[in-house]
Amino acid sequence: MRAPSEAPNATLLKMENVGRTFRMGEVAVEVLKGVSMEIVAGEVLAVVGPSGSGKSTILNIIGGLDSPSMGQVWYRGRDLTRASSGELTRYRRDEIGFVFQFYNLVPNLTARENVLVSTEISTNPLDVDHVLEMVGLTDRVDHFPAQLSGGEQQRVAIARAVAKNPTLLLCDEPTGALDFVTGKRVLRVLVDLNQQLDKTVVLITHNSALAQVADRVIHLRSGAIAEITEIEEPIAPEEVVW
Amino acid sequence: MVKVLHLKLVRELYRSKGLLLLISSIIAVGVTCFVAMQSAYHNLNEAKKRYYCQCRMADFWIDLKKAPLSELRGLHEIPGITELHTRIQFQATVDLEDFVEPVNGMVLSLPDRRQQVINGVVIRQGDYFTDRRRNEVIISEKFARTHNLYPGSSVHLLLNNRRQELFVVGTAIGSEFTYLVGPGSLVPDAVHFGVFYVKRSFAEEVFDFEGAANQIVGRLAPDARDRVDEVLRSAEARLDSYGVFATTPLRRQLSNQFLSSEIDGLGAIATVIPAIFLAVAALVLNILINRMARRQRVVVGTLKALGYTDQPIFLHFLCYGLSVGVLGGVLGSGLGYLSSTGMTYVYQFYFEFPDLRSGFYWYTHAVGVSVSLLCAILGSVHGSRAMLRMRPAEAMRPEPPRRGGVTGLERLLGSAWKQLSAIWRMALRSLFRHQFRTATGVFAAMMGSGLLVTGFMMTEAQNFLLDFQFHREARSDIDLVFKDEQGPEALAEVRRLPGVDHAEPLLTVACTFVNGPYRRKSGVTGLQSDARLTVPRNEAGEPILVPQAGLVMTRRLAKILHVTAGSKVTLIPVKGERRPVDVVVARVADSYMGLAAYSNIEYLSQLVGESLAVSGAQLLTNRRPDNLSRLYRELKQLPGVQSIQSRRDMIESLTETLLMNQYVLIGVLVIFSGVIFFASIVNASLVNLAERQREVATFRALGYSQWQIGGMFLRESLLTNLVGSLLGLPVGYGLTCLTSMLYDTDIIRLPVVAANWVWLTTMSTAVVFALLAHGVVQWSILRMDYLEALKVNE
Repeated sequence: MRAPSEAPNATLLKMENVGRTFRMGEVAVEVLKGVSMEIVAGEVLAVVGPSGSGKSTILNIIGGLDSPSMGQVWYRGRDLTRASSGELTRYRRDEIGFVFQFYNLVPNLTARENVLVSTEISTNPLDVDHVLEMVGLTDRVDHFPAQLSGGEQQRVAIARAVAKNPTLLLCDEPTGALDFVTGKRVLRVLVDLNQQLDKTVVLITHNSALAQVADRVIHLRSGAIAEITEIEEPIAPEEVVW
Repeated sequence: MVKVLHLKLVRELYRSKGLLLLISSIIAVGVTCFVAMQSAYHNLNEAKKRYYCQCRMADFWIDLKKAPLSELRGLHEIPGITELHTRIQFQATVDLEDFVEPVNGMVLSLPDRRQQVINGVVIRQGDYFTDRRRNEVIISEKFARTHNLYPGSSVHLLLNNRRQELFVVGTAIGSEFTYLVGPGSLVPDAVHFGVFYVKRSFAEEVFDFEGAANQIVGRLAPDARDRVDEVLRSAEARLDSYGVFATTPLRRQLSNQFLSSEIDGLGAIATVIPAIFLAVAALVLNILINRMARRQRVVVGTLKALGYTDQPIFLHFLCYGLSVGVLGGVLGSGLGYLSSTGMTYVYQFYFEFPDLRSGFYWYTHAVGVSVSLLCAILGSVHGSRAMLRMRPAEAMRPEPPRRGGVTGLERLLGSAWKQLSAIWRMALRSLFRHQFRTATGVFAAMMGSGLLVTGFMMTEAQNFLLDFQFHREARSDIDLVFKDEQGPEALAEVRRLPGVDHAEPLLTVACTFVNGPYRRKSGVTGLQSDARLTVPRNEAGEPILVPQAGLVMTRRLAKILHVTAGSKVTLIPVKGERRPVDVVVARVADSYMGLAAYSNIEYLSQLVGESLAVSGAQLLTNRRPDNLSRLYRELKQLPGVQSIQSRRDMIESLTETLLMNQYVLIGVLVIFSGVIFFASIVNASLVNLAERQREVATFRALGYSQWQIGGMFLRESLLTNLVGSLLGLPVGYGLTCLTSMLYDTDIIRLPVVAANWVWLTTMSTAVVFALLAHGVVQWSILRMDYLEALKVNE
């Protein structure tokens, strides 16, 4: 059982009828169509769907990296769709931790320095070395990304996201570039962060097997929510098979 | 800015050090030029001010035939004149025992006792005159050193037809001879010309000038300096009966003109050339920073995702540019100081100052570094801001491909396009799709080529001037000036001298030309009908026959007087009856030195109311050395000869000096333009290569050799370079015209001469630089890790 830092089952974020259309020259592509969903504090939420279903777009909107073309998004009662660029920046800085599919580490910074990049602008960061220890990289803190394996790089990226002490951890295909064994190891880290640090984790994946570690799964198809399922007993990352 | 971003910045600067150094070098050259020339400008200007103050430099000179001192004192009544000093001045032949070639001197009187005078001297060795001897002399320092004359030695001069021994008591320099040139020369020649200061009493005695003078120098009140011409007209009117040859305000005094032209030239060039370099640097830096920013899209998006505001990200990218600006500015500042020290040292060979020293002008360095930073900011701000406009999500997506489609060139070429190979089509499309980068490359090549053309055309101008003035217009080996006018028998005597193959008479009459409100003091030179040793020429170099009546006037003098061929001008000779005479300007000739006018010698003699008179002669000599030595000895003994000028020696010395200057000028300009060519081509090509790594790797996989791949990039850089270099040819022509305007004085004008070798050499040099720059690109291609680029690694 999880002990959420927020009040149990409190709604952290709510999306109402959110749509997103991209213009590419003369062509308009409607990536999201009237999506309505909630994120509950302390949960692990998986958003699953095939490639092009709008998963990453939802994550970007939740994280304040992108704005919807229609609809509204509230975070703790604040309307994010009306927020200014500065307010969204502060939102990302203080509330959100991102983990990207291809890690997005800064090539010219060591593992430790990549984590410091996020803590130096945070108001209440966690201890960098402690976080790196949590993700099992104590021995690799002075290595550059080019000297780390894919799994290690992803763990650095997770450490960077968590060290800011965000409320919400958003993970875009965190195991997408990793092999089977490494991917499960990364999943374990995410689940541990949820359990030990009460981080609300949103996990985007095309791999429905991974969704079994979540508390709830939102199924996306062609930019709309096809189904929302609740998982009574999420399985341990080690037991996931794909 | 947060600390870890500092680390990132430093490491990436180090990784891109090659490219950043290249761009810094463009900035450094620009700042070096600015600091060097501005510092040299200040060095010369400050030294000039100090020197003129120390010697109490005159505001005007008046040269006349002879006037009693009592009359000259009356000039004090002219409003504006605060001080006057009278002098006796003559040209003389110097008779050096161990030196056969003719040597000329200007003899000037100084007070017998040391006192403050206008145009005073600075004693360098020995001391001022004493009471011990009447025939003491103080000699100009460089001449004395060249001929091993020192206090205690003696020297012989031919003064007023008598060989006089003078006892050297000291050597000196004077501000009115800061740039000491002999008659008809352009560069100082301490071997063949010096100044000899003698006691006033001695000069009076030797030249029969008791109680008289033939030169007045004066100073004006500060508020009268703007109307010096008016003051001189008043003075001339008063002294008219004493034969005023010339009235010279300070701005037209020979030494001051050369010095001031050089100083003004430095000031002007200090602005133009640095501006070229800094403009190119800003454009090239813009390309680099844009490229850097685009490569770091994902990093920028990630930083924004982490919560970084725009400001630290903007400043982070701006700092790339600023570091280039700082490096270029500091390098340029240091090199500029060293260069100005070198330039100032070289100036000492041309300009004689008591204390020409190299100074550190902090404001000049501050301006140089500031402009360098500004250039760097201008070059970086566009790329830096472009990153901020993107939303974080957009920044983290791969960069969308550039627009495709048919380019304008393809439409223009139509079916001819299809004849091109795929490689050529790739090269041309790349140039047309990256318009800013291509335009920058063309601009840089244009500037590099423009600089080369300017340097080569300046060289050609100097060679042309030398040829026109010293081999075509004036063609004698030796010029003689007689002390007084002689009859035709003097010429006959000269013709009989050993080694003289041909001799022609000259009659030089100082006069004032008047055309309505326009006046100028100059002179007319009378030539024999079929003269071949002084031949006025037109712009095309064709000889102009001096007519039996009328004048042939040089173009600059005609312009000053607002006359053209066929106009009439009033001539008021200084000698003879001094009656104003109207004469026709029969032809206008071209000349690049002085303000000359020519006429038939007999016609001129009649104009001044005299029978045929000869004031000098021009000789063609037998070139055998022993004949020349005999001739020089005989000439020195010839009575009535005031000065002997070996034009051949003068031309040799001038040619040597000009050649050396040319080597330096061309060397410097080739280096400068090389920096521009090299840096801009390497930068553009490497950025191009970095963007197309995967494409290059694919070609390797297809079976292309590294050299063939290099050839693809060479096509682009050569095309850009050639187009830019061609456009730079008229730019260089324009710059040369502007430079020519700077050196447009009564003493000398630089012609604008376009020769085929200039264009060919410029284009060849541009191609060489392009090939050299491509060498760096080819080396990068040879070193490229193709597997990494294709991401085929396990």
